[in-house]
Amino acid sequence: MSAASVSAPRVRTEAALGKPRARVVLLVVANALGVLAFLWPFLLPALAGPASENHKVDGPWILLGVVGILGALLFLEMGRGGMGPKVVSLVAVLGAAIVALRLPGFIAGFSAMFIVVLVAGNAFGPSFGFLLGAVGMFASGLFVGGLGPWLPFEMVAFGWVGAGAGLLPGAGTPWGIRIGALAAYGALAGVVYGAIMNLWTWPFLADGSAIAWDPSGTFAENLRHYLSFYLVTSLAWDMARAVGNVVLVVALGRPLLGALDRAAKRMRLSIVPVTTAARRSATSVG
Amino acid sequence: MTDRARPAIHPVAWIAWVSAASLISLSTTDPVYLLLLWATAWFVYQAQRIPGPMARSFRMFLAAGVITVVLRTALVLFTPVGSRDVLFALLEGLRLGTLLVLFGTFNAVTDPFGLVRLAPKHFHEPALATALALSITPRTVASVGKVREAQRLRGLSTGGLRSLPALVVPVLERGIEEAGTLAESMDARGHGRGPRTRYRPERWSTASLAVVGAAAVGAAAFVATAVTARVPLHPATDPLALSSPDPVLLGAIALLALPGLMPGGADR
Amino acid sequence: MSDALRYDDVTFTYPDTETPALAAVDVSVPEGAFALAIGPTGAGKSTFLRAANGLVPHFTGGTFSGRVTVAGRDTLSEPPRRLADAVAFVPQDAAASFVVDRVEDELAYGMENLGVDPRLMRRRVEEMLDLLDLASLRDRSVRTLSGGERQRVAIGAALAAGPDLLVLDEPTSQLDPQGAENVMAALQRLVHDHGITVLLAEHRLERVAGWVDLAFGVEQGRVRSGSPAEVIRSLAVGPPVAELGRALGWDPLPLTVRDARDVVRTMAVPSHPVLATREAPGEVLAEVRGLDLSYDRTPALRGVDLDLRAGEVVALMGRNGAGKSSLLRVIAGVQHADAGLVHTNGHGPRPGVDVALCPQESDSVLFSDSVALEIRATLAARDASDVEPWLDALDITELAAVHPRDLSAGQRLLVATAAIAATGAPILLLDEPTRGLDPAAKGRLTRFVRAHAASGGAVVVATHDVELAAGVASRVVMLAAGEVIADGDPAVVLGDSRVFAPQMTRVFGPGWLTPEQVVEALA
Repeated sequence: MSAASVSAPRVRTEAALGKPRARVVLLVVANALGVLAFLWPFLLPALAGPASENHKVDGPWILLGVVGILGALLFLEMGRGGMGPKVVSLVAVLGAAIVALRLPGFIAGFSAMFIVVLVAGNAFGPSFGFLLGAVGMFASGLFVGGLGPWLPFEMVAFGWVGAGAGLLPGAGTPWGIRIGALAAYGALAGVVYGAIMNLWTWPFLADGSAIAWDPSGTFAENLRHYLSFYLVTSLAWDMARAVGNVVLVVALGRPLLGALDRAAKRMRLSIVPVTTAARRSATSVG
Repeated sequence: MTDRARPAIHPVAWIAWVSAASLISLSTTDPVYLLLLWATAWFVYQAQRIPGPMARSFRMFLAAGVITVVLRTALVLFTPVGSRDVLFALLEGLRLGTLLVLFGTFNAVTDPFGLVRLAPKHFHEPALATALALSITPRTVASVGKVREAQRLRGLSTGGLRSLPALVVPVLERGIEEAGTLAESMDARGHGRGPRTRYRPERWSTASLAVVGAAAVGAAAFVATAVTARVPLHPATDPLALSSPDPVLLGAIALLALPGLMPGGADR
Repeated sequence: MSDALRYDDVTFTYPDTETPALAAVDVSVPEGAFALAIGPTGAGKSTFLRAANGLVPHFTGGTFSGRVTVAGRDTLSEPPRRLADAVAFVPQDAAASFVVDRVEDELAYGMENLGVDPRLMRRRVEEMLDLLDLASLRDRSVRTLSGGERQRVAIGAALAAGPDLLVLDEPTSQLDPQGAENVMAALQRLVHDHGITVLLAEHRLERVAGWVDLAFGVEQGRVRSGSPAEVIRSLAVGPPVAELGRALGWDPLPLTVRDARDVVRTMAVPSHPVLATREAPGEVLAEVRGLDLSYDRTPALRGVDLDLRAGEVVALMGRNGAGKSSLLRVIAGVQHADAGLVHTNGHGPRPGVDVALCPQESDSVLFSDSVALEIRATLAARDASDVEPWLDALDITELAAVHPRDLSAGQRLLVATAAIAATGAPILLLDEPTRGLDPAAKGRLTRFVRAHAASGGAVVVATHDVELAAGVASRVVMLAAGEVIADGDPAVVLGDSRVFAPQMTRVFGPGWLTPEQVVEALA
């Protein structure tokens, strides 16, 4: 490829989606708030001041507030308009793959869903990755009749998995590096996803034990408690998922990314506006 | 998954219902109220469920709810540094379980396509992508079967990790091609051109409005009680000290049972 | 009358490509015309069509010069979504273009995008249902429709928004003869009764040549307009009657059976068809006895008895749903019958060893990065490695390094067939290979089939394509509702049938199968 035609070897649909600067700032802020929202059990006691019996019962209200913040985040990320037919159809087709993987009868299907957002996020960019993660989680929940109260959390968390993959080296980098990075990220994402989703139910256990949420504890104390809780509950599943992700990325990453890169290339285009004077001469588009 | 005839209760009304019910369950750990909510959830499910694959969601969530209660209690009993406050854990588990059961009802009474069709304009594109993903899924599953058969026909083995790329790549590539056709077709039919209108707007029936109203009042009662601390919502657990159920709050939960009294399911 | 569509000196090149897909195209489509674009694959038909509503260049990118005007509007200044009310576009794969579940909603979708008032939408939906004979299907899920019904829904969905120009990309290529008839009849009605301008691209000329009144020959990016007869003559393609006319120097070129009969009436007709001498078939390669098969209590095969002998090319024919695919799958060994048996070499058929089947959706077979690798994958499974002979057999040697997804549908079918044939199985089964096949690929496939049979194998081709059967088969087996209702020499079986008679039979009588036969007899 000549230097002029594609300035970065990574061709992404980012260009087609169009992102004015203000929007980017807004998105970064919203995402940061989202992260804080997820971490509320650790932050609340520090923020809210001295210990109070009420925190225990306030917990659920905070949860609602958090849901609200995440909802706003989703609203911003997904409700922008301007996705366009290409992005909608790609999200639909890849989303269908996610839904299919979650169908009962696919053992460990829930975990296999990761490979789809990992490769799609890497090939098409962070915005697309987030969109696909959120839509995929929502659609698969609908399909299997499993819309739970944790849905906004799932959607945002899974969206972040996809977005993160979009920040890794993409098309054009040597395969070894690309697959290696994606595999490592996949392992990390598998564990972190489980950890933050487990965080959802944790504050419901506030009985003062060493693995419970302490409404009046410090960040460090709560972190310790949570790690113990996590160890006892979902660490095993998440480790299995992390391993599964690595295996799938190594086994399937290259052919899948190959196909998706080609699709990204075909779909990348945007129009260069034409002046009337230039009408009858060659018009370069894209 | 085919479109169903318009249901009696607007899907957004159901969202209001489940939100209100969740709010209530989050605001208390009193087992009386919580168990009443379980009963309400079952009652509404019985009356309003949409027959078909979604109906089993209720059972799934019910099972999940029960398991949650058991696990929570077990966790406390068996953790070496646990507080041994079994009752507390039980109640917490019960609260979490209630949430699950309520969502079980929600899943069983709403039609996914209905939900998606009603997305506000701001969400039109993601909602469309969701609806499309749902309708493309059967094709994707069928595609996998066909590709598997095609590999067998070539004398290639179909099990094991080695044969996964041969299985997955054709399915993906065909999906991408179909996405291209779909995108072309959507573009040619004016997608994204400007403000849209709706061919069959969902109308709000009296039933739906009643459900929303009742749910709102019920939730408000609990919120008010929580804020003013009029009656205790969280019984002490060591030892267990249950207070007598408050009639206002009982009435609030009864309001949530309203959909259970209405003519049910989707009209066919 | 003004033009519905005008191309003014249009040149277009796809991104990252050297040769232009359209070169100095300067033609027009008058209002109310029924126009056909013909040409070899890859010549630019698709591009020509997609320039009509701006998909080229807005959707595809690339370098575009010249101007395309639709109903007075310039496609360069208005993207496809703005032209949705002027041009209705229907892609080849209607099923992949559907957005919602119910037929009625699908018809309304385009209008929703245009912000049409709901009451007007309602009226227009009703109109479309009547116009395209879809009223009984309004509540059905689009997924449950037949091919022809789907195509009509796609047409209605695109037309509902009100345009007067309808552009279709190979609308009948995926359909069986009945479905194709229905679609063509619907288009005919639209043109003659409602003043819609129709432009379509099509390979299967025997179906459409007689209906259209204007043709565009597309070859290497250049487009010539003319009457159908002129264009067909100049491009050396066409239905068998046209081939015959070309060979005998008839002018004007006959395009339909009726045209040909008119000409034949005035000349000396050879009276006795020379029946092709068939090689005596060799040993029995496969025995099929008493096959019964049902899916969910619906019978698919009933008591089928069949022998396949070396050197035979069998055309398996019948309506959609007659059981052709099921039969092939049982013979291939991937589907178990409820009763009866299939024996190859004394045992049950081993897929990929005794029998190889190329499925209807041949794309499912392809997964490698290049054609050569694709064939190698099959060979590797049986410890062979010589790719060349298989590429040669299907005449695709020049495609060895190309990625299969970059090929045309016809080329992909050839690659899939090569990949399947590379198993070395003596019995080859091809399920509906002619779907979407262009004449050049069809020729290569035919030669391959003949060669395989001649070298001692057997080939069974399930097909609707009567002309293919007439040209290549040494035996025709007809299935109806799962039973074998005819089995014998093509001249007899096809000669006996009204529906499945090739054009030569319809012109000259039973026993006449191909234009070559007629030419030889007259020489």
